[in-house]
Amino acid sequence: MTRDFIRFVRRGRVVELRDFSARTTLLDWLRLDERSTGTKEACAEGDCGACTVVLARRRDDTMAYEPVNACITLLGQIDGAELITVEDLAAPDGTLHPVQAALVERHGSQCGFCTPGIVMSLFAHYHRVSAPPTRAEIDDVLAGNLCRCTGYRPIVDAAIAACNDRNDRFTADEPARLARLEAIADDEDILVGDDGAFFAAPAREDTLAALLDAHPDATIVAGATDVGLWITKKLMPLSKIVHVGRVVGLDMIEESETTLTFGAAVPLARAAEDLGALDPDIAEILRRFGSVQVRTAGTVGGSIANASPIGDLAPILLALGGTIAMRKGMAVRTLPIEEFFIDYGKQDRAAGEYVRHLTIQKPGETTLVRAFKITKRMDEDISTVMMAMAITLDGDVITSARIAFGGMAGIPKRATQVEAALAGARLADPATWRTAASRLGDDFTPLTDQRGSAAYRLTVAGNLIVKGLAEMAGTPTTRTRVKPRAEVFHAAP
Amino acid sequence: MKFEHPAGLNPIDRLTVVGRPVDRIDGPLKTTGTALYAHERHDVAPNQAYGVVVGAAIARGRVETIDVRAARAAPGVLAVVTTLDVPRLGRGRMNYAYLFGGAEIQHYHQAIAVVVAETFEQARAAAALIRADYTPEQGRFDLAAEAGHAPLHGDGDEPVHRVGDFETAFAAAPVTLDRTYTTPDQSHVMIEPHATVAVWDGDRLTLWTSNQMIAWSKKAVADILGMPAEKVRVVSPYVGGGFGGKLFVRADAVLAALGAKAAGRPVRVALTRPLVINNTTHRPATIQRIRIGAERDGRITAIAHESTSGNLPDGSPETAVAQTKLLYAGAARMIAMRLARLDLPEGNAMRAPGEAPGMMALEIAIDEMAEALGLDPVEFRIRNDTQVDPAHPGRPFSYRDLVGCLRLGAERFGWSARDPKPASVRDGRWLIGLGVAAGFRNNLLTKSSARVELDRHGVVTVSTDMTDIGTGSYTIIAQTAAEMLGVGLEKVVVRLGDSDFPASAGSGGQWGANNATAGVYAACVRLRDAVARKLGLNATDIDFADGEVMSGDRRVPLGEAAGEGLSAEDGIEYGSLAKDYQQSTFAGHFVEVAVDAHTGETRLRRMLAVCSAGRILNPKSARSQVIGAMTMGAGAALMEKLSVDTRRGFFVNHDLAGYEVPVHADIPHQEVIFLDEADPISSPMKAKGVGELGLCGVGAAIANAIYNATGVRVRDYPITLDTYLDRLPRPA
Repeated sequence: MTRDFIRFVRRGRVVELRDFSARTTLLDWLRLDERSTGTKEACAEGDCGACTVVLARRRDDTMAYEPVNACITLLGQIDGAELITVEDLAAPDGTLHPVQAALVERHGSQCGFCTPGIVMSLFAHYHRVSAPPTRAEIDDVLAGNLCRCTGYRPIVDAAIAACNDRNDRFTADEPARLARLEAIADDEDILVGDDGAFFAAPAREDTLAALLDAHPDATIVAGATDVGLWITKKLMPLSKIVHVGRVVGLDMIEESETTLTFGAAVPLARAAEDLGALDPDIAEILRRFGSVQVRTAGTVGGSIANASPIGDLAPILLALGGTIAMRKGMAVRTLPIEEFFIDYGKQDRAAGEYVRHLTIQKPGETTLVRAFKITKRMDEDISTVMMAMAITLDGDVITSARIAFGGMAGIPKRATQVEAALAGARLADPATWRTAASRLGDDFTPLTDQRGSAAYRLTVAGNLIVKGLAEMAGTPTTRTRVKPRAEVFHAAP
Repeated sequence: MKFEHPAGLNPIDRLTVVGRPVDRIDGPLKTTGTALYAHERHDVAPNQAYGVVVGAAIARGRVETIDVRAARAAPGVLAVVTTLDVPRLGRGRMNYAYLFGGAEIQHYHQAIAVVVAETFEQARAAAALIRADYTPEQGRFDLAAEAGHAPLHGDGDEPVHRVGDFETAFAAAPVTLDRTYTTPDQSHVMIEPHATVAVWDGDRLTLWTSNQMIAWSKKAVADILGMPAEKVRVVSPYVGGGFGGKLFVRADAVLAALGAKAAGRPVRVALTRPLVINNTTHRPATIQRIRIGAERDGRITAIAHESTSGNLPDGSPETAVAQTKLLYAGAARMIAMRLARLDLPEGNAMRAPGEAPGMMALEIAIDEMAEALGLDPVEFRIRNDTQVDPAHPGRPFSYRDLVGCLRLGAERFGWSARDPKPASVRDGRWLIGLGVAAGFRNNLLTKSSARVELDRHGVVTVSTDMTDIGTGSYTIIAQTAAEMLGVGLEKVVVRLGDSDFPASAGSGGQWGANNATAGVYAACVRLRDAVARKLGLNATDIDFADGEVMSGDRRVPLGEAAGEGLSAEDGIEYGSLAKDYQQSTFAGHFVEVAVDAHTGETRLRRMLAVCSAGRILNPKSARSQVIGAMTMGAGAALMEKLSVDTRRGFFVNHDLAGYEVPVHADIPHQEVIFLDEADPISSPMKAKGVGELGLCGVGAAIANAIYNATGVRVRDYPITLDTYLDRLPRPA
């Protein structure tokens, strides 16, 4: 069966839409069609978070409150969710939601234009925590919400005061709300439009494969955190859009003794839990990847398939080592991840072929991992340089090194010359590995752009290798193996 | 009301409502998404169409032809107006770039057309079909290249401001400093982009827009469109941030008006974020040379500050030297500005124009000088304090406690623990440093009016064209009226941002709070007189409290006194007090930073500002103004920079991913202390501005902390990763 409409819950009732352009954003639908103007537009590309809304979804029979940037969420993506916006939070009698009341009381809203997005990010967090959050936690929750007026502190104070008991009317009404979502859940394929222009959200992988085979010119969308910008910024007239977010099985995470496998549609927020468990550095990189909104919508498959030279996931996967599996029609093929990236804007993926899953090797007991992300600002920043390294040791001797960088070339890329030079080096003897970093010039010819000069990139990339190895060696002056941020940055005066 | 003598005791001094940390009264509207901003005014007129602005693709030259055939034929298109269809329009008297009209292109993304269609997407799609042919001309885009031959540009009668003989004094000084500092072009990055809904009713035009200065803008719209000002109405009750970027009407307003006229329908236009960056105004970059000479005991004897900035023809310079006339003692001084002609988008006011970049440079120089003298930088500043205008020693500061700010700040921040030797404190991979700077921004006086009405229920309604751009105007105006008329805040209604209301000071130059509330004060005094007259009482003998008018034993509920309603309108005007006294605000900024020894990443740890800024009308909103400004200062110090493409002549990073402003995690711990004071020379409110003070100096405090942490002196902002990595101490 195929549905020719999308449906979602809005203010307690089911909305069905069958007549919309595939590239309609959720924000345009809200502001222009529904005329719910509480949700703001300020950048139209997922940087500022003023358009944050919450999509409430059933996840394992409980309600998940997922904040996303409405400006780069396609309307069709919200199928099956309950859409909650800033206008919905206060009670009908006008009583403010605890998050809203705290923001008023702590002066967390000034000009008010970022406020609706901040309210919604905190509303989502309100339903995730049962104890007052820390400052660092709120910094993270609000990394994707820019404010130019308040200086942030009043917002953080309000968040800490408000987010503690999950005891609002939304929680009270959860059984009925879950039932409503269950009533509209199905495993039907969705295709809104016709052969010339459509929004499709298949539920079955075979449908997905067949659809892409028939329409190799269609644009594949997972979280739309990148494709959204093709629409709002590049004004690309995308007419056929295939959303992979409903495909059963494409959101699976499988773990074996030695590997982790992520379906292409696994959101980064979920993948971060399993990947982060491998190493605290990886956890920290993924915490700083985009923002909560971007990690909620963006996926593992999307992040690799778009092959951004500055995406933070690819270097991690390259360092750990792994494979990418793709399917076209009925044919499935698998190749090492590094072979997928060919050149800037060019990947080893045929038209009509899609990324199915990624498998990475879990670091063994003799493999040490480090990963560093260098940015101007602390969060929600595109990496100037990002490095991930996995060093395998036999006792004190480096037997193999995998070191991958973002921001150093047109694609995410391994430093193979450095890797080769490190083989046989002794960790305890810096003289054997310090010079290896100087081989970076053989591996990379980075660009100068406004994030950093070529010279800076080369220098700091070399420093990161030294830093990583020095940490592994336990050199006394570099004792800072990922300290909790709270400890470093919120030390009492 | 003319304010000619220092204020005596007045009803505001009761401080039962004023001076209290009242919640902002527009908070519930803003947190529920029900405050309506300009682009959301679907309610003001039916049948609104959408306009999309097309910007020029060259930075300088002429647009020869504009092919609009495809756009006109596109679905839903109602009208297309191009810059070649109309003669060059007028311009606002404080602007240098024309917003529309004529073939000449002055800067990149100057508007060349507006497309009006039934829907936004139709308008956007049609706008993309417009093809323009240009004849480009070589423009000048590189300030550094133009600085060498930029002419002097004075801000008064004389091109160079001199006190004494700087050159001789400098030559004679035993300790001297001669350094050059640079600040980049910056963007306001208010979160709400410029937007307007334009509605014509015959020859009358109403603009629902996002604007800081209603009266200026009403006049500017009339000048630009060549129509009488009385036919123009500008409405702006909620403004999603301005910071100077909305002091003036922009292309959205003008093209909404032209588009609405062409389409015969109301038209709404919002600027996209890239257009906000290159189509509107920005803070110009500066190159500043500072020379200081001092005696060995730390007394400054000579100080020179020269700044070069660029702008379009007829433009004015960034007045980065302004504070150097006033901040420190020192007998001889020379102050000058040069203005290069540049073909970049218009440079104009951004929060604390002049002082913001000027203090970024001056306060590093002071730090360098203190080090050269072997003096603690707090002590060096205190030693050079002045209580009078150095150029006119008979002209005192109305109130100045910079010394108090620095002393208290040093104590609260733990300044004595600072190791004056740079690069001597480590915390693991982090190099730790403390920095200090003075904060300084003038207090500007400008007339401001309001109307106050009292109804039979005792409800007080204040109407003024003052705006609330996030600053808290609604709240402090309500507090003022409540205090003056002895009612609770729940009895006060404040209506702002409409040119049909009495003209106010508007929001800019940190003058809004003091002047606009002083205007409301004046109107309230008049209303109190009217109430007294109505009750047959002597105005000097009566008191207003608890919703009643009291005189002797007589108490009359305010609503009863109002009868069928009373209304009073008045404003504040100033006499010579601003001339007789120098009025300024002061701060001590203290910052702790950590710098990663391997990567050069800088992280702020703590910030403290101690402010001397007159009476604080609402500590809650004032505190947020200061920490918001400190955060903007952190952005200026560490990340904010419009990158100029010096070949094509535009700002490359024209979005919020490329033009980075601080995020939550960049701002870990901020505190603000207001010294308890009132300045009776400023106004009857005894308040001064505070909205820009927090920005002035904080960037230098960060730079100085980085120096203390690393031993690397960076004189070019922003202090990004790659400005000093190669000079960091080598990590072990």
